[in-house]
Amino acid sequence: MDNIRVEKVQKFEEFVDRRLKPDLVRAIVERDKVFEQQKVYSDLKRSIQNLEKNGVTSLRTLVNLGSEVYMQADVLDTQHIFVDIGLGFRVEFTWSEALQFISVKEERLARQIEEYTRLIASIKAQIKLVCEGIRELLQLPAEGSY
Amino acid sequence: MRGKNPCHLHHDELEAVLYVYQKLRKAEGVKGTITSLSSIFPVEEAQKAAKRVQDAIADRQKELEHLHSFISDNINLVNLVQKLPDELFHDVMVPFGKAAFFPGRLVHSNEFLVLLGEGYYAERTCKQTIEILQRRGKFLESQVESLKANLMDLKAEASFFDATAAEAAEGLVEIREDYVEENPAEKMPKSGLSKPDSSEAENVKLVAEDEEYARIMSRLDELEKEELAAQSANEDDDEEAETDFGCSINQESFDDHFKSLELRSQVLQSKVKTPITTATKEPLGGNFLKQDSSDHPPLKVQFEDSKIHYVPKAYNMEKSEAFGKPLSVSKEKIHAASVSTIEGFKDTVIGHPEVTANYKKVSGDTSSLSGSKTSFDSSKAFTGSIIEHAYNSQTKPAEQTVTSSQSTCSRPTKPVSRFKMQKGGR
Repeated sequence: MDNIRVEKVQKFEEFVDRRLKPDLVRAIVERDKVFEQQKVYSDLKRSIQNLEKNGVTSLRTLVNLGSEVYMQADVLDTQHIFVDIGLGFRVEFTWSEALQFISVKEERLARQIEEYTRLIASIKAQIKLVCEGIRELLQLPAEGSY
Repeated sequence: MRGKNPCHLHHDELEAVLYVYQKLRKAEGVKGTITSLSSIFPVEEAQKAAKRVQDAIADRQKELEHLHSFISDNINLVNLVQKLPDELFHDVMVPFGKAAFFPGRLVHSNEFLVLLGEGYYAERTCKQTIEILQRRGKFLESQVESLKANLMDLKAEASFFDATAAEAAEGLVEIREDYVEENPAEKMPKSGLSKPDSSEAENVKLVAEDEEYARIMSRLDELEKEELAAQSANEDDDEEAETDFGCSINQESFDDHFKSLELRSQVLQSKVKTPITTATKEPLGGNFLKQDSSDHPPLKVQFEDSKIHYVPKAYNMEKSEAFGKPLSVSKEKIHAASVSTIEGFKDTVIGHPEVTANYKKVSGDTSSLSGSKTSFDSSKAFTGSIIEHAYNSQTKPAEQTVTSSQSTCSRPTKPVSRFKMQKGGR
């Protein structure tokens, strides 16, 4: 009887440690990536809006060649902007088109983030459930609510 | 699992060897500890440690790869920077944020803005930039070198842990013995304390000691010769003889046992006040007197013979000591006494095969002779044998050690006395 219980506890703990916790970590990492993308696109949107507001037709920037070595670069025509639309494709947009795309993209990213958040919550709930099961098996007093 | 059977055999053998070892060391009086390696480093622990080190090695390897990628990047950048000034401008896609580009071109192809660190940038030409990049490359190389050295260390450590784990699994043992400094002056009080209490019972048991006693006897012979030589020499030579005596005594093993011999003749201790003997005085006086020696009459007689002869001399000696400064006249007598006592000891020793037993008896005899403390004379008589000790003490242990070897070579007269001794024979 006791042996069975010990075995079960061990199995549950293994499940938590080997399956649920790595899953949780992976989900959190994925969500962070999406957050980053969201930030990139929101930055781009702000920059384009900035260009629009100032009516910039040409600009001079510094290009990072790598290892923090910069070189000056001229952009002669700012009307056409190439935006990364994912999967390695870049599309030539005008400013307004770019802004439209960015809003769609942001929406999608927000949805993705929500998905990941839900996934993370469910994994956390599962962990909690299994821990509770272990507690019951060991017949320990219920822990304080937190 | 498969190694278990041979392992067990190994253990049995090992235990046998250890047993023998312990016996031997006990016989020699050396205290050592034997601990199996697995008790200090449990096998699992050693394996765990090895695994930890392996993990550290993996980390370092990753770091190394990282550095290598930096180095290759750096080389590529140097090539790029070298090529850029070849043209006035280059058509490129100018990044605009992370997700967007503008079509544009690089201008001012010989002007680079290089990060110096801490947010400071410097405007450099192509050549200057290349210099900076090469210096960075060198720094990276040195980092790689240090990392490689670190890796080697860790690998050595890992192999050590692996070896330790394997040895612990095999059942290796560690034998540790305290290093005893070979200082006779230090040893004297020790042997003096230990011998009267415990050694007697032990001595009888240990066969190994027989050899020791044989050596002692040969030493005694030598001493005797020297004494004779000293006797034959005139008054001035006396002193040299003393030093000579000290020197011969100095030899360690002999010294030890000689001391034990002396200690057995307890009366000496009670009479003579020397730093060496004071500590042992009490136990000797108390214990030995009470010991009954009723079981060995023949030996007693023998000893009595030797002793009786020298009673007057011993008495003499005693008096001289009591009166403070030594009398030159009595010195010769002392010599005689000491020699004779040695002879007496030797006789008893030779007479019986079991030397150790003999000594025991001797000590018993002395107590019987002295009776129940009533006859102080007898104790004095025994001082005859002790005299030697008194003699010895005159030279002082510390001096013995110092002068031992020096006296032989530095003093020209001494070899002469030795020659005499040899010629005179015995």
